[in-house]
Amino acid sequence: MTTTAQLPLSRTPVKPFYFNTSAHLLRITTQKANTLAELLDALRVCPDDSIFQHAFRTLQELHFIREGFSNDFAHWALTARNEPGLAEQLASVDVREFTSLGELRERFVQIVEKHLQLNPADGRRMAEETFYFCAADIVVMPTKFVAETLPDFAKGLREVSVHSIHHHFIEARLRIKLMSNDFSQWLYEDVGLTDIARALNRIDIYTVTLEDVRKQMLRIVERSLA
Amino acid sequence: MKSQAATNTQSPSPHTEAQPHDRPVLSAQPTPLRPERRTLPRTWETPPAPVPAPHLDDYQTIVGTAELDELRFLARELKGKTMKMVNSTAVGGGVAEMLNRLVPLLGELEVTTHWDVITGGNDFFEVTKAFHNALHGSEYQLTRSAQEIFLAYNEQNRQRMQFREDMVVIHDPQPAALIGSRKDSPGRWVWRCHIDLSNPNPQVWEFLRPFIEQFDAAIFSSQSFARQLPIPQYLFYPCIDPLSEKNKDLDESFVQKVCDEFGVDRTRPIVTQVSRFDRLKDPVGVVQAFKLARKYVDCQLVLAGGGASDDPEGALVLKEVKEVAGDDPDIIILDLPPWCALEINALQRASTIVVQKSIKEGFGLTVTEALWKGKPTIAGAVGGIPNQIIHKLTGMLVHSVEGCAYQIRYLLTHPDFAAQLGRNGREHVKENFLMTTNVRRWLLLLRTLLRVGTPTGTPFS
Repeated sequence: MTTTAQLPLSRTPVKPFYFNTSAHLLRITTQKANTLAELLDALRVCPDDSIFQHAFRTLQELHFIREGFSNDFAHWALTARNEPGLAEQLASVDVREFTSLGELRERFVQIVEKHLQLNPADGRRMAEETFYFCAADIVVMPTKFVAETLPDFAKGLREVSVHSIHHHFIEARLRIKLMSNDFSQWLYEDVGLTDIARALNRIDIYTVTLEDVRKQMLRIVERSLA
Repeated sequence: MKSQAATNTQSPSPHTEAQPHDRPVLSAQPTPLRPERRTLPRTWETPPAPVPAPHLDDYQTIVGTAELDELRFLARELKGKTMKMVNSTAVGGGVAEMLNRLVPLLGELEVTTHWDVITGGNDFFEVTKAFHNALHGSEYQLTRSAQEIFLAYNEQNRQRMQFREDMVVIHDPQPAALIGSRKDSPGRWVWRCHIDLSNPNPQVWEFLRPFIEQFDAAIFSSQSFARQLPIPQYLFYPCIDPLSEKNKDLDESFVQKVCDEFGVDRTRPIVTQVSRFDRLKDPVGVVQAFKLARKYVDCQLVLAGGGASDDPEGALVLKEVKEVAGDDPDIIILDLPPWCALEINALQRASTIVVQKSIKEGFGLTVTEALWKGKPTIAGAVGGIPNQIIHKLTGMLVHSVEGCAYQIRYLLTHPDFAAQLGRNGREHVKENFLMTTNVRRWLLLLRTLLRVGTPTGTPFS
């Protein structure tokens, strides 16, 4: 989002916002890792779906947790390998900074490679638990909520499932290939509310639950309606 | 509540009379007066009448309208499709319990689901029980005779059954050889394995593997249970039904009544393990952990389980537990019949902490039940338990008696942290381990294998 004049709230959106949601079927893949060297090998060759599953889907499956969890790789480094330094590095990867899974995969690979260069013995040390690579097949579904006005949008935000919030707010950037999300894009492009769009996009998904994200979004949107 | 027709009976209790016991030197609190304990637990001689299965709308207050709308959307394009579930028992056991709820819900969504149970003689079930234990890793010598018995009964059932459905789901190894009918069947075939196959007896696994490899897909309850197979493998966590007698909300008065009957003092912390009396559930270790913890914090231990009356090994384990417990009046051991779901529910709800200190475990649905009730839970880091308990976030994982004792002390003295674990645990179950989530997985699998509806894929594809 760069420059667009702020338009009045009474303006009818250029097109409505259709709230969708998604459901996931988990597959167990053939890749697994007992050591960091094996994790690195698997990270390089696993399907994109696995990177998506372990980086993006964690935020959905554990959407109710505020602290201590950002992606499965970081969690494994801490709990199964007791390597807090590596865990911090892996946890610092913010999925919102990536619009492709290839870039995201490369970032994880770089972090593990660097750690192994500095700590070569860690590569062979067995973890307490195996890391199993999974992958998700996804079905996108419509919901009954369609926003033709900003109050409709607020109603939709209030009532859709957290899966829908995750679909539009977190998964979206892989689809639209932008450092943004579906809600902000609609507010910016179709309603002309640049500031509100930006405010939504600034919400930190890593320090709050998805319900908190919903509440923050609602506060921002409802404030603009007041 | 139990049916009016149920008869109250009394059976021997582990403690027939309260004995004064030596309070530990470091005990934090004097023991307050306790309500009089029943010397004999109140149990029922015969099971109560089965409760009718709930409808989809009954789950609305628990999972919300949006979740149910998603199920209806997923089912819409599957309308008229059919499934067949095949397992080896209609009553008892987790699989039958799950199918009893799943089948009507799928039917309500217009995915007609038939449920067939294979038949067999005692010799067949002796063989399949041995297979079951061997697949869990027990020593076993697979004989030609056992193979022949397994194959003969499977063939007998195969001749008797028809497989016209769009998807046929075979549960566990007992009916695995029914896959022989696949070539004459129009549907997709799925093997649903409820067993931990992480360390199977090689002879039994190699005998079964050629059957399993003929399926279109396999489903496991945990990533760690899966095997290297040339077919797609899916992860379906087991689930609990939040509306079942074991998990539904209870009136406080009923919880109090059950505690009164069993002599559980609700004015003091209650630590509970619900499990059959089985060494793999380590009830002796739980008693030891409790005794260590109680040096520092006042609490009672409830060990509620069953299996001692119809299983010689269970009776032996119960005897060992009683010996370790000694005459400690704060250790309440209850050997309950399997139809005491409401009482188990009440005991879990009355608990301050729930423990499941298993040494080996399948998925550990008693952990799921405790988490669903918002109870801070301490459990062994085995089997499917780490899928449910994320250490320090949704519960506490332990690896030893001492670790278990420490976490009991910690949670009893840090109630705010314990309460947060309980809240997180309940949300974890709501998101991942409820019956409605299970229905969603079956619908997704059906869509995927039958290639129905919107193509599946990742958001970037």
